[in-house]
Amino acid sequence: MTYISAIFSYMKKLLIIIAFLFCGISSIIAQQNFPVNGVKNEKKIIYAFTNANIFIDYKTRIKEATLIVCEDKILDVGNGITIPNNAVVYDMQGKYIYPSFIDIYSSYGIKAMEKSKSSEWPQYKSSESGAVGWNEALKTDYNAYQNFSINQKEAEQFRNAGFGVVLSLRKEGISRGSSTALALIDENPNKALIKSKAAACFSFNKGNSTQVYPSSLMGAIALIRQTYYDAQWYALAKNKEKNITLESWNELKNLSQIFESDDKLNTLRIGRIGDEFGVNYIIKTSGNEYQRMEEIKKTKARYILPLNFPEAYDLSDPYDAANVSLASLKHWELAPYNPYFFEKSGIDFALTTDGLKEKKDIFKQLNKAILTGLTEQQVLKALTYTPAEFLALNQLIGSLRKNYLANFIISSGNIFEKNNIIYENWVLGERYIINDIYEPSIQGKYSFILNDQSFKLTILGNLDNKAFELRKDTTKCTAKGNFKRNRLTLSFEVKNKTINEFYRVSAEYNNKDFIGKVQMPDGNWQNINIKYLEANKDTASKNNHLKNENNEIKVIYPFCAYGTENLPIEEEVILKNASVWTNEKEGILQQTDVWIKNGKIFKVGKNLLSTSAKIIDASNKHITSGIIDEHSHIAVSHRVNESGLSNSSEVRIADVIDCDDINIYRQLAGGVTTSHILHGSANAIGGQSQLIKLRWGKSPEQMKFEGADPFIKFALGENVKQTNWGEKYTIRYPQTRMGVEQIYTDAFTRALEYENQLKNTKENPVRKDLQLDAMLEIIRGKRFITCHSYQQSEINMLMHVADSFHFKVNTFTHILEGYKVADKLKKHGSGASTFADWWAYKYEVIEAIPYNGAILNKMNVTTAFNSDDPEMARRLNQEAAKAIKYGNVSEEEALKFVTLNPAKLLHIDSRTGSIKEGKDADIVLWDNHPLSIYAKVIQTYVDGICYYDSERNKRLQDEIQKERNRLIQKMMNQKDANENTQKPLLKNKKLQHCNDHELINHQNDNHDF
Amino acid sequence: MIFKINSISPALQKLIIGLLFCHGSLTTMAQNPAPAPAQSKSILIKNVQLHDGNGKTYNNASIGFNEGKITFLSYLNMDEKNNSWDSIIDAKGQHVYPGLIALNTNIGLSEIEALRAMNDYSETGSINPNARAIIAYNTDSKVTPTVRFNGILTAQITPSGGLVSGNSSIVSLDAWNWEDAVYKSDEGVHINWPSMNVYYGQKSNEEDFEKKQKERIEKELKNLEAFFEDSYNYHLNNKPNPKNLILESMRGIFDNTKKLYIHANFAKQIMAAVNLCNKYKINFVLVGGSEANMVINLLKDNNIPVILGQTHQLPLREDEPIDAPYTLPKKLQDAGILYALSCNGFWQVRNLPFIAGTAVAYGLTQEQALSSITINAARIAGIDKTTGSIEIGKDATLILCQGDILDMKSSVINRAFIMGKSVSLDNVQHQLYLKYKSKYNID
Repeated sequence: MTYISAIFSYMKKLLIIIAFLFCGISSIIAQQNFPVNGVKNEKKIIYAFTNANIFIDYKTRIKEATLIVCEDKILDVGNGITIPNNAVVYDMQGKYIYPSFIDIYSSYGIKAMEKSKSSEWPQYKSSESGAVGWNEALKTDYNAYQNFSINQKEAEQFRNAGFGVVLSLRKEGISRGSSTALALIDENPNKALIKSKAAACFSFNKGNSTQVYPSSLMGAIALIRQTYYDAQWYALAKNKEKNITLESWNELKNLSQIFESDDKLNTLRIGRIGDEFGVNYIIKTSGNEYQRMEEIKKTKARYILPLNFPEAYDLSDPYDAANVSLASLKHWELAPYNPYFFEKSGIDFALTTDGLKEKKDIFKQLNKAILTGLTEQQVLKALTYTPAEFLALNQLIGSLRKNYLANFIISSGNIFEKNNIIYENWVLGERYIINDIYEPSIQGKYSFILNDQSFKLTILGNLDNKAFELRKDTTKCTAKGNFKRNRLTLSFEVKNKTINEFYRVSAEYNNKDFIGKVQMPDGNWQNINIKYLEANKDTASKNNHLKNENNEIKVIYPFCAYGTENLPIEEEVILKNASVWTNEKEGILQQTDVWIKNGKIFKVGKNLLSTSAKIIDASNKHITSGIIDEHSHIAVSHRVNESGLSNSSEVRIADVIDCDDINIYRQLAGGVTTSHILHGSANAIGGQSQLIKLRWGKSPEQMKFEGADPFIKFALGENVKQTNWGEKYTIRYPQTRMGVEQIYTDAFTRALEYENQLKNTKENPVRKDLQLDAMLEIIRGKRFITCHSYQQSEINMLMHVADSFHFKVNTFTHILEGYKVADKLKKHGSGASTFADWWAYKYEVIEAIPYNGAILNKMNVTTAFNSDDPEMARRLNQEAAKAIKYGNVSEEEALKFVTLNPAKLLHIDSRTGSIKEGKDADIVLWDNHPLSIYAKVIQTYVDGICYYDSERNKRLQDEIQKERNRLIQKMMNQKDANENTQKPLLKNKKLQHCNDHELINHQNDNHDF
Repeated sequence: MIFKINSISPALQKLIIGLLFCHGSLTTMAQNPAPAPAQSKSILIKNVQLHDGNGKTYNNASIGFNEGKITFLSYLNMDEKNNSWDSIIDAKGQHVYPGLIALNTNIGLSEIEALRAMNDYSETGSINPNARAIIAYNTDSKVTPTVRFNGILTAQITPSGGLVSGNSSIVSLDAWNWEDAVYKSDEGVHINWPSMNVYYGQKSNEEDFEKKQKERIEKELKNLEAFFEDSYNYHLNNKPNPKNLILESMRGIFDNTKKLYIHANFAKQIMAAVNLCNKYKINFVLVGGSEANMVINLLKDNNIPVILGQTHQLPLREDEPIDAPYTLPKKLQDAGILYALSCNGFWQVRNLPFIAGTAVAYGLTQEQALSSITINAARIAGIDKTTGSIEIGKDATLILCQGDILDMKSSVINRAFIMGKSVSLDNVQHQLYLKYKSKYNID
């Protein structure tokens, strides 16, 4: 044996000895059927807790009651019950007993997934091994119960905060597999496991998945949607390949379904998915749902609410303070109201500590929430009954009843009161002492005398964290102290002229006083008697910002600058004596009135009279139809591109409309009333688009243009073949224009085959394919293409593909070489939506000309100018005017490029695009010739509602400043009160990692030219 | 007389195009027009609305120029007949403006944004004060004539990127080669002030991300300060040995023979820039200035001129007034700060007059807005002695425009003169327009 191996051998023995030592300890509560090392140490003691205030459930408090437990069960609870002879009796006079809390959203005992190194190259396929599904963000086959381990430190933190059971999940992936319910005991995982598969968990976050798809929120939603269909198919299909992901998905179907949301709009989206697939999700929310309570109510979902209300910002630097948005300031103020809003709306919810820095902060946070009006009963319900019910464990935990688990808290009084002390938390009948129930309360004022000098001692703080303040006469002395098992140790220093003298005291608690010894600076011992004087005065906490402020609680819609508490309403209005650009054969009517009523253009004419209508003098002003932007990427949550596949026709912009985008308001101020929100141009077949009206303040669903024909974005050329994506992007098919054609032909060919299968196959169910559904809709004329395009060859190609499948390409967008194929476009029947004067930004636009629009228009192709840019969209009238400069288009025709013509391209010209009686009152009042650079919008109406008014805009600007100042002052106050603060960092919604240069020059990343 | 197809009858146009096709070579179509020869004959333009760039406008004015210089202005009570004019243009109802000046552009340094081979404006490394944009300036860019088409006749060709990007030069936008184009070479060095904003990081390591950014900011500021210190010390020595090309190119900054352009948008950056430059008693020009309104007194007290970055821009923050960028020029005007308007990029620069037009919609007068893209720009670039406005003795660099040059609805430029040379307004885009009008047989 070599020397080295001898050492190893020795160490091995040592380890085994250590291991046995630990086993020896843990065998006290060993697993039932495990062999015992040593002598069996089994206890079966009956405990009776008498004279207590017992909450047998969240709404029922029994006074002077008794609770009897044995092992992990409750034997009995109530008044006048018989206490078994052999019971150990604890008198709980004056104490409260509650069911232990349940945290339904934790990662307790679960190891986070290690982040795999992502490849330099884009990864389009799953990197998972085994017979799993195609997308690695679906971790459906993960089971928390197979992977947890007891974490004593974490368990203690939970128990100290009152918890007895938690739901543990791994926060990883879109489908997260199953979570498990665990009791927070320190030993014996076999006992801790209460319910193996307690709930299925989901999120929109793909986590550590390195696969490109989904690269967008809409992709994540599409993936979930398709997987539901796939799982349905998998359950029924014969002759199928094995797919563990789908199998697990189906196995989890009957559990509670918990879905994590990180924003109120995502919460609404989850609600919609639930409706689509008949799933009543339990949604773990982000905490800003109060900002859309009406819609939240309609989800009929159940909720888990967080308590991690945002900290105040550090606003001491006024320039930094400018970086905090009104929305963030207001959210800081209103976030604690979130649970209250739910209670008020009658929505059932559980509370979680998820997101809190420390579990013990729960009481501080609950106190904030209770101050907003949330009732204590509701809080208790949300921490006990409701989470148990959500997990279908309400016959076992969450209440204190016969045969329920012995999970309960003993506290000094009402658990939600500030000075309450939790003494013990019993979990599965195991006693965990948090604070010594017999420890006297020593807080108060004392005095003692040493060497004829008089000292005053004040003991502050709570049980486990005491503070000692000592004064000699009036001079403050530094003092440190400790009180445990009835013994006080106290050391302090007294400043003398030349030196500091240290005194050290050790004294026993004795009927409110302390009697003991002190070792003096000179080393001599003296007796000391610290006499109790009086209790501390209750110092009310300073400026708690939630008190008495209900008049300030204003939720604005949308929840950001320029949002308002009350939305503008539809009015009957006559705009008098304007120049009216009708876009109809009447042309431009001078000195003409436009009467709007019930959201429609009621009458256009001279000298219109009404007693009921509001009259607006529009003399010397111009009225046009609202601007329609055929190509826009505003109001989209997360990304506009799903770049993980070359065909992503299954993704839907409709799923991700962001009603809070400030650009909606900014564009109203530029006269835009309708925007076609498109998927980006990252792939040949992009996603389904969504037409919206800019109804600022309304919800995403309310913004959708009702009844409009559905469209889909296609794209050609450099973006699709990833030419300008960087050197690594050479994997995804296609890399040439040749391949682009094949993608289309393949997709449409497969769609026809799919149609055939749907028609002819009865026995073996056909897998519902959302991609092919969309392709089929195109062929069958139920969905229309708007195709990003530049060069003539590819434009020509797509028209050929369309012809061969017998449909029309509705619109080519960008189409900067459209002028080269204007005759072919006309013949095929396509329209064009182009830029006024863009070029030279990449090779394929090298022959772009600003005369494109003029030529196309002249060739009778329906021609529009679009923005594809949130800034330029504010000036589309000016872009239209460029058609006059480049190509001599008439003024009337030029205006149609941004009004009637895009309406035609979008098939909404029967409702919008011109000033005609009966059409939607989507109109703009301009202070000047609408094609002039000097023209500004005075008012913009959508459906007869004035969503933008230049005067109101000025008022709102002032109000924003006022409200910011009020909140900043309040926050500064909070900061002075030594609450935690966070740094105000510039938060750019769209670009998270940009430098200033990019912020200034490329802040408009939401375009796709 | 230049070949100006716009004003010729459609029939004649077709004939001309036909002739061009007869030559058989399409390449002749996609050519830039030849630079104009020097002015050899005196020209008088009569009956125009004249905008002098200095803020004044004159009805029914006449302007005469010879050998490249303005020699006659009717409103100065000069006798028109004292000069014998070789050529008289009666431009009744039209407007004369000084040629527009585009500052801070990379025209001629980039031809196609997305193609690496076609970009020459950003040198590798961080400190490049010795890099000279002028020698990379491509006079044959297809973009330049399209910009000239809208009245931009002079430009500051500016490098970008890194901490110190290099030297810009002023050029006339009609030349055979860069030597020919130069109006004022290597007139200034451009510095990009380090970002001083801290951004939110990813959830996982947010605190670390914040810390790293702060470290980065501190490091970059220290580098910049050290660079100034080195440059200053170096300039004190007239005959340094060895010669350091980097520091040598900063010498002019300290003896005020060269401009210093500092690109910064945020108030904190601007304040830091003022602080550093005051230490060395350097006057600098602020470029960007999105938050100039927040430090307006500082700019005024220190006499700092501003080249505003493109104001066709979204507000920086959602709480700001929605028209904040549009109203910025008016705020600088009211504060009495010398400022010019500018346009991002190169091909985009043709929209410079419309950026000025927007400033009119939001508060400026038309003449003030015109000044901001003519004489103000010339003052900032230090070329106002000879150009930037219509004055006797200044260069005859001017435009004859059908309507209001600031409003796209009416702006049609008929003639342009650079130092008296009648420059072509033709360009490849217009040629393609004619080519396809001809194909479809439309007007």
